[in-house]
Amino acid sequence: MIVRRSILAALLLAAMASTAVADEKRKLIVATEGAYPPYNFVASDGSLQGFDVDFANALCEKIDAECSIIKQDWDGMIPGLMAKKYDLIVASMGILPEREEKIDFTIPYYQSPTALIATKTAGLQVGADGFVDPESLAGKKVGVQRATAYETFAREKWPKAEVMVYDSAESADLDMTAGRLDARFDDFIVLQGGILKSDSADDYERIGGIWAEKDFGSKGEGIGVRKGEDELREAVNKAILDMRADGTYKAINDKYFDFDIYGE
Amino acid sequence: MNPADLLDLEGYGHLLIQGAALTLSVGVAAMVVALALGMAGALARLSQSWLLRKAGTAYTVIVRGIPELVLMLIVYYGGTVLLQKLLSLGGGDVRVDINAFLAGTLVLGFVYGAYATEIFRGAFQAIAKGQIDAAKAYGMSDSQMFRRVQLPQAWRLAIPGLGNLWLTLLKATSITSVIGLTELARQADIIKAPTHRPFTVFFAASLLYLAMTALSDLVRIRVERWASAGFRRG
Repeated sequence: MIVRRSILAALLLAAMASTAVADEKRKLIVATEGAYPPYNFVASDGSLQGFDVDFANALCEKIDAECSIIKQDWDGMIPGLMAKKYDLIVASMGILPEREEKIDFTIPYYQSPTALIATKTAGLQVGADGFVDPESLAGKKVGVQRATAYETFAREKWPKAEVMVYDSAESADLDMTAGRLDARFDDFIVLQGGILKSDSADDYERIGGIWAEKDFGSKGEGIGVRKGEDELREAVNKAILDMRADGTYKAINDKYFDFDIYGE
Repeated sequence: MNPADLLDLEGYGHLLIQGAALTLSVGVAAMVVALALGMAGALARLSQSWLLRKAGTAYTVIVRGIPELVLMLIVYYGGTVLLQKLLSLGGGDVRVDINAFLAGTLVLGFVYGAYATEIFRGAFQAIAKGQIDAAKAYGMSDSQMFRRVQLPQAWRLAIPGLGNLWLTLLKATSITSVIGLTELARQADIIKAPTHRPFTVFFAASLLYLAMTALSDLVRIRVERWASAGFRRG
């Protein structure tokens, strides 16, 4: 029993010893997932890289904080923030109502891009608004993932197109390469990593502009902050806008994407 | 596709090895905890004291009934929040960090200790009653009887079950990823993203798991032989 009590005491002491004390320069721990390229991933030397990581580093500089970035499994991401394992989540986390019940989000720092890819021979036209002309889609087969915002959007906006649904992006891509589809409508990054990387990539072209998440009724990706830490959240919000204004954002953006991912 | 491509990890191989090393360390450390708790639990369940017996039973019934993932989350996240609340009672914002390796090891050890309890209990009960009577007839004290007659045989009888337990525990270490440990399974999950080679990566990870379990089995056979010295070899 005495042994047990001293173990408990040692544990408590260890816990207290690692208690952080408020410091002059703000020290922050940032969590990212590390398994979601090109946003966040691990290089072969074990280091964390990607848009999120570069963005987090630049952000910390802007708010004058000393940051360490750690990788955290997705399932424990929100619990870890709530348990103060880290202070910010910069992990391409979508701002969703069910997440907002647990934690707060900053303004979106990017919006997942969506694009329409078509075979060059399909003859699709770009309309006056810079996006695909719905008339030119008449009778064309457009492949989308089942039960996604893309499917709803395609059925609503392109009534004359024949919308084909698939369980995964991969199977839609396979049908496209097999010539059974005229177009693919999906997350642009997914398309770039899939069909636009395939052997037949030269047969396809992007039709028109890139949609932002707000076009599908979503808010985009935000930085997770613990509830009640309004001062930090406001500082990050301001930093995001500052980075947009002074070109920092563009520099990071252009390292990974050939289009603006902010979604203005 | 070149067959050699099946094992091409694009320079990420060493990260998988690191993951395997962490898996093995968490596994071994948790097994030590599990053995200690298992022995204590078995003695409690077989003790003369009503209180200890009930405590031992409660331990095995409760712990074996809760998924280890849930327990892991409760201890790591719930425990952290609770400690922070307690320590913040005096005022101020207190940040407590429970070490993830320690938490993972203790939780796995705690859970598998409950299974080990039942294995040891079975082993103790399998010792022939006549031997106990004989030991008493020789005038051995309880502790002498325990050391000379019961413990050596309990080990021998428990080894097959414990070997099984170890294999399960080793693979269960993969759930420690949820509290931030980058063990083998999580490392594989991370590496599959930049390499775009999920099959290759998980295939390599399974080979590493298989290597660890196969090696474990060799160790178990040796230990079994050692513990059965003087008994018929079967």
